[in-house]
Amino acid sequence: MKENTAKTTNGYLLSVDRLRTYFPVKRGLLRRTVGHIKAVDDISFAIEPGKTLGLVGESGCGKTTAARTIVRLVPATSGKISFEGVDVLAAKGQQLKGLRRDISIIFQDPYGSLNPRMTIGNIVGEAIKVHKGIRGSELIDRIDMLLEKVGLGGSYRNRYPHEFSGGQRQRIGVARALALDPKLVICDEPVSALDVSIQSQILNLLKDLQGEFGLTYLFIAHDLAVVEFFCDEVAVMYLGHIVEKACAEELYRNPLHPYTRTLMSAIPQVELKRRQQRIGLVGEVPSPSNVPAGCPFHPRCSLCDERCMQESPALNEVSKGDGHFVSCWKQDEFSD
Amino acid sequence: MPNKQTPKSQWGISYGELVWREFVKNRLSVIAGMFIIFLFIVAIFAPFIANDKPYVVEIEGQRYFPLFRHLGAIDYGVLLAGVVAVVQLILIRRNKKRVDPSERGEVLLKQIMISAGVIVVGLVLLYLFVPRRLDATNYHAMVESGRAENAVFAPIPYGYARTNLSVREQPPSRRHLLGTDDVGSDVLARLIHGSRISLSVGFVAVGISVVIGVVIGAVLGYFGGRVDFVGMRFIEIMMAIPQFFLIITVVAFFPRSLLNIMIIIGITSWTMDARFIRAEFFKLREQDFVQAAHAQGIGLRSILFRHMLPNGVAPVLVNATFGIAGAIFIEAALSFLGFGVAPPTPSWGQMLSLGVTTTGRFLWWLSVFPGLAIFFTVLAYNLVGEGLRDAIDPKLRKAA
Repeated sequence: MKENTAKTTNGYLLSVDRLRTYFPVKRGLLRRTVGHIKAVDDISFAIEPGKTLGLVGESGCGKTTAARTIVRLVPATSGKISFEGVDVLAAKGQQLKGLRRDISIIFQDPYGSLNPRMTIGNIVGEAIKVHKGIRGSELIDRIDMLLEKVGLGGSYRNRYPHEFSGGQRQRIGVARALALDPKLVICDEPVSALDVSIQSQILNLLKDLQGEFGLTYLFIAHDLAVVEFFCDEVAVMYLGHIVEKACAEELYRNPLHPYTRTLMSAIPQVELKRRQQRIGLVGEVPSPSNVPAGCPFHPRCSLCDERCMQESPALNEVSKGDGHFVSCWKQDEFSD
Repeated sequence: MPNKQTPKSQWGISYGELVWREFVKNRLSVIAGMFIIFLFIVAIFAPFIANDKPYVVEIEGQRYFPLFRHLGAIDYGVLLAGVVAVVQLILIRRNKKRVDPSERGEVLLKQIMISAGVIVVGLVLLYLFVPRRLDATNYHAMVESGRAENAVFAPIPYGYARTNLSVREQPPSRRHLLGTDDVGSDVLARLIHGSRISLSVGFVAVGISVVIGVVIGAVLGYFGGRVDFVGMRFIEIMMAIPQFFLIITVVAFFPRSLLNIMIIIGITSWTMDARFIRAEFFKLREQDFVQAAHAQGIGLRSILFRHMLPNGVAPVLVNATFGIAGAIFIEAALSFLGFGVAPPTPSWGQMLSLGVTTTGRFLWWLSVFPGLAIFFTVLAYNLVGEGLRDAIDPKLRKAA
């Protein structure tokens, strides 16, 4: 496989700018739009080639929708996504086909993401057949090569997905994602459906493949321990917004947003001295169809005051040039 | 994971095999399936089983083969199709063992194309070179009068169009096992030839309705929204029309040919198939493997028919077996009412209607035997359909 020679915009492979993805809520006989579910509401981030950006947050916060918008499975409402200078949201025809080749996705559920009626060889090889026109023994060689890369033998080529365990299926999903020599791989919670013992195998596999093929990852997870191990940079999402973004080390050492602090306190720690008081959250996540005014986190935040309820804080850099962004009126109360 | 591979497990167990294993557990369905296969064999070999022409006969020292010369292009065509079907089955079995599953679909498609080509070319050639010879010679009379000798007749030595007024309306006897009808034709011979009509109506009509239903259902289910709204109203309109009356109306306007009946049944009974496929596609289009295919830039047609259809076709297959039974029933009813195929072509429904003569006498053998034939055929298809449904239903499989 070739090395990725990335044409980039400002040094970034992928940049997402003020992306919004709303789903209309329709009611009644005439299917009138009565409101919107704001799954992704004004998020911006960018990834450098060869790096890994982690996207964390609890269920329903819009991580997966963001991922699916980037691979054009879900239409965006507004915003701009550019990949190697190509406008992703406007791409059509050959350009879109090129994007389909360069951006691939690994799904969360290894049971639902493989077609139960197709053999592994077909699942992995179909895209190669469609995009590169490779057939016959050459195709089989490529499939075998891919399967070996993810730690499965070529002899598995003729089997059906139901004959595999969850971890093996996820390896097949990885092989499929790599089939077209992508530059960016979006990992949509690739390990959350797996046993802990299997999780590390898949994560190590992804790490190795990143080194080997120079891949760039957008890594989505809700498990902060996994993200710490895996990512260079981490963005924390809450209710469709990015509330904090920093390089992994900085974020774990010095979380500034109250939500991030809560998440951090929930990571189980083995060492006694790293253990801290667990911060409990009150209430439920508000519905994304009815986002609270002001800071989206304010109904659950212990530091909430008048301003938080009325004005929405912007995502600001804490101190110039350190790459640590946070969206909170009270950020100063935590800075060390 | 089984790493030590026995030859059987080398290719893994496909979904088809799973269903088959489950299906054969149901004894009644298997018996019904065998009955249908038996019916097909009877239909294919009908002219060889019941025919008033002998296979071989010697007339004035010369040997003739009247039965074979008498057969028309359709008869040979059906025979050819039967042979091709058997060859296909053998090839599919062989492919299961030898061909790489990733190539199997293409190989199978190629074989089907070749077979279809062979059938078409064969039929054309037969039409050109094997005109049906009208042979009104009464070989039975010739044998009796001694002009012909060494004649070898079919097991049932009566043709379906043979009229013999001297033996009309006879109850079952040694000579005519199931009796004769109002023009002296042998009921058993007509029953055997009638199976061709019933079976072909069932298959062709359901084939047409499944194709229409799957395409429309796939489009509605995949696109949803406004397309689906309009499409569903159209389907509801179609469903609101009483099918049988529509068919009778249409049949009254068009010539009474078998093909017309098949087409009419086909284009009026696709609504259930469309609804099944639509429902399945609604469920499937959100599934990750379909999304994955999209994300990889695989073409829409391939996604619809290669990724989604094989996962959603099971209910339609089950429905199709019931549909075949229904089509046979409709054809019988049409023929019974006199809208079916024109005599002397035999059809079960038409024979049934001859049970009551114009003079008002009730000839029980004319009603009971065709009636039983319809009954058992429809029952067999329904049993197979039921067995198939149980075999496909994953909930039942888990319970077992």
